[in-house]
Amino acid sequence: MSNADERFGRVSRRIGKLFRAVLFASTLAGILTLAVLLVYVANDAFQPLSADPGWHLVFLLTLVVPTVATGWWCYRRSYGTLATGLLGTVMPGIAALYAGGLAALFIDVIPTLVWLSFVIALAVPAGVVVALRRTDRSIPFLAELGAVLGVTAGSLLVVPGLVQGLPTVPADWMVLVLTLGLPEAFLLGRWIEGRWGRRDGWIAGAAILFGSAVGGVLGTATGFGAIPGVALTMFAAVPTALYVTIVLRERPERRIGLLLPAVIVGGALAGELLVGALGLTGPAAWVDWGFLTSTTQSGDPRSVGIYSGIVGTILLMFVVAAIAVPAGVGAAVYLEEYAPDTTFTRIIDVNISNLAGVPSVVYGLLGLGLFVRYAGQPTGTLLVGGATLALLVFPIVIISAREAIRAVPDSARQASYGMGATRWQTVKNVVLPRAFPGILTGTILALSRAIGETAPLLVIGAAQVFGIPDSWTSTIGAMPLQLYVWASTYASPAFYTTVLAAGIVVLLTAMLSMNSIAIYVRNHYEQR
Amino acid sequence: MSNADKRTDVSEGSSGDEYAVGVPEGRGRDRDADGEASTIIESRDLSVWYNDNQALRSVSMEIPEKRVTAMVGPSGCGKSTYLRSINRMNDLIDAARVEGEMLFDGKNVYDDDVDPVALRRRIGMVFQQPNPFPKSIYDNVAYGLRLQDRTENLDEKVEDALRNAALWDEVKDQLDQSGLDLSGGQQQRLCIARAIAVDPEVVLMDEPASALDPVATSKIEDLIDEMAEEYTVVIVTHNMQQAARISDKTAVFLTGGELVEFDDTEKIFENPENERVEDYITGKFG
Ligand SMILES: Nc1ncnc2c1ncn2[C@@H]1O[C@H](COP(=O)(O)OP(=O)(O)OP(=O)(O)O)[C@@H](O)[C@H]1O
Ligand SMILES: [Mg+2]
Repeated sequence: MSNADERFGRVSRRIGKLFRAVLFASTLAGILTLAVLLVYVANDAFQPLSADPGWHLVFLLTLVVPTVATGWWCYRRSYGTLATGLLGTVMPGIAALYAGGLAALFIDVIPTLVWLSFVIALAVPAGVVVALRRTDRSIPFLAELGAVLGVTAGSLLVVPGLVQGLPTVPADWMVLVLTLGLPEAFLLGRWIEGRWGRRDGWIAGAAILFGSAVGGVLGTATGFGAIPGVALTMFAAVPTALYVTIVLRERPERRIGLLLPAVIVGGALAGELLVGALGLTGPAAWVDWGFLTSTTQSGDPRSVGIYSGIVGTILLMFVVAAIAVPAGVGAAVYLEEYAPDTTFTRIIDVNISNLAGVPSVVYGLLGLGLFVRYAGQPTGTLLVGGATLALLVFPIVIISAREAIRAVPDSARQASYGMGATRWQTVKNVVLPRAFPGILTGTILALSRAIGETAPLLVIGAAQVFGIPDSWTSTIGAMPLQLYVWASTYASPAFYTTVLAAGIVVLLTAMLSMNSIAIYVRNHYEQR
Repeated sequence: MSNADKRTDVSEGSSGDEYAVGVPEGRGRDRDADGEASTIIESRDLSVWYNDNQALRSVSMEIPEKRVTAMVGPSGCGKSTYLRSINRMNDLIDAARVEGEMLFDGKNVYDDDVDPVALRRRIGMVFQQPNPFPKSIYDNVAYGLRLQDRTENLDEKVEDALRNAALWDEVKDQLDQSGLDLSGGQQQRLCIARAIAVDPEVVLMDEPASALDPVATSKIEDLIDEMAEEYTVVIVTHNMQQAARISDKTAVFLTGGELVEFDDTEKIFENPENERVEDYITGKFG
């Protein structure tokens, strides 16, 4: 040892060690702050201490201990087993969340009949396109485009009125099964046919269709509601069943991981039964069904709810996605695949990056100037709010889509061009399919940023919302806006530690669910 | 302007067909013994720049139809650049600039009225790294045909192309599988099948075997040899033996983008005019 020291000498690492300690400390500081904050919020929102100690004990024994034990056991078997179990737990939860959101839309915003009329109106031009494709291709492209656009416009003018004037009206669940269940059954059936063969595809398609109808009938019968019944079967039960089937058939070595969700569900049910039997009271949580479904706004924290915020946010996200995604992806494709490398495009490049960093309140002012002052729209509406948020996420969508497109290897493009593909054919057949997961991930992350934005919505005048929006031009609320109102208009200590915390939990759940979907998509496709 | 028309056009009045009949089995270079073939590609004083860096210096050469023409030379001498300027793949590189003429079928491909996309449909290309699309084997081969809306008898054409690329027997039961699941050598043959499925007149190959092991390489070489009965093949290679084995004509580029010698392969390898060529071929430098 000393011998080696003499021969080579020693290099001092004191500064390096210090540097490392500082880095570690700052990491820890960040994580701890966040953790403390979340614990505080969760404590306020769920009030766990208000429950009987016995209640905690029961759930500790029936739910927590078995879950941790099963999880640990899965982990010891293999990481993949645990991942399967976690996905099997989280996926149905998130799916149910989104199915609930969808159901809310159909219950309160879009009457199913109106929805049906527009679906039929759009099905007509879709049928025309298919028919044109089937016939020989001698029709010039522009004539085809003109015909399709003409039919679309005509059908949108005529068909909705006709359908809405029908003497007999189909039940809500029938409309949903027809307009959503049928396409789902068809698409998933096709997909399964490609994976496991024709017979299984047919069986799956029929099962999905039948299942969603049963969901509707059961929902009506039990009083749970026909619309939530269909939505939950179609968008939560079906994906879950599909996932379980895939694991059972294709991943036998991970099959055992499905024990985890089974233990969790079983434990929760058992705990619930036991608690009821023993007469133990649970925590008086602020996040409860009443809070989630009430639209009341008042000074009494007990009666207020976040429902109008939830619906507003969902609608805003649809508008934002409808505007920002096509425009952003289009711009990204243009800049990456078409634009020549000139000074002009470089200036655009730099400016897009700058735009992504502009404070959101400035976008609010832009939206106010553009849509309200200049275009004469009323303040605080769904359309104006969505368009303003779309402006905000537009550069983010462009940047992430460009990254995804740039990640497509050049050899793939060369192969396509070398075969005599045009630019459009290369973009359509090679670039976009390969960049799709990346674009999807980026888009979801951009939307999840828009979900939390408050300032631009305040600036364009969406402030205080009591009801549910029912048209493009009704004023709209949003979850973060709701929180802001509770923290300002109704500011009082009673609000701070009650519904405000509950609202934060709901907002964070929405954001985290979106982010986890984005992360899942990214990891899933990176493995390929 | 359909492909078929052009092809009859070319063989009319040319001596191409006569020789195609009399081609002996075996090594490509033997074909040369029969005499001259007509020229299908000709460059006249072709120079290419990447920004200010000249990659090709006034290259003139005539590539014979239905023959294998090899291009050899040290790294960076402009072989790939020459290959890419035949089917205008250089257009995709912003920095590239071309001067001089590249005649294909007697027409300068750099004329304003030439559509590079249409040109590339007649001149196929195979790259150094096998680059199948992440699609099924079938879809890979059908890609070019679908681009051109030539989808009648698609199954048959796909099978033909795979047979001609000597891949059919290995993949006929797994046409639905991803092209990326094949071995490197199979992938490269898939790329060749993809290129010949559209029935091009010329196939350009940029070091098609350099990423492959000797067995796969020899399969590709046999394949190239057979392809020369139907197609004009232009191949870049770093492997002198390979050039000697499979080509009828050899072009030797040397550093700086100069074409130093272009002649029958036999002549180049046995009795080159230029001393530097001899040195390069025998491995004294390069
Ligand atoms: N895309 C490009 N942009 C700028 N310069 C390039 C580009 N491609 C090639 N060059 C330059 O052109 C010259 C010739 O390159 P080329 O790729 O044609 O050589 P090569 O003979 O194919 O070499 P190798 O045997 O290594 O493949 C080199 O000096 C190279 O640096
Ligand atoms: Mg090269």
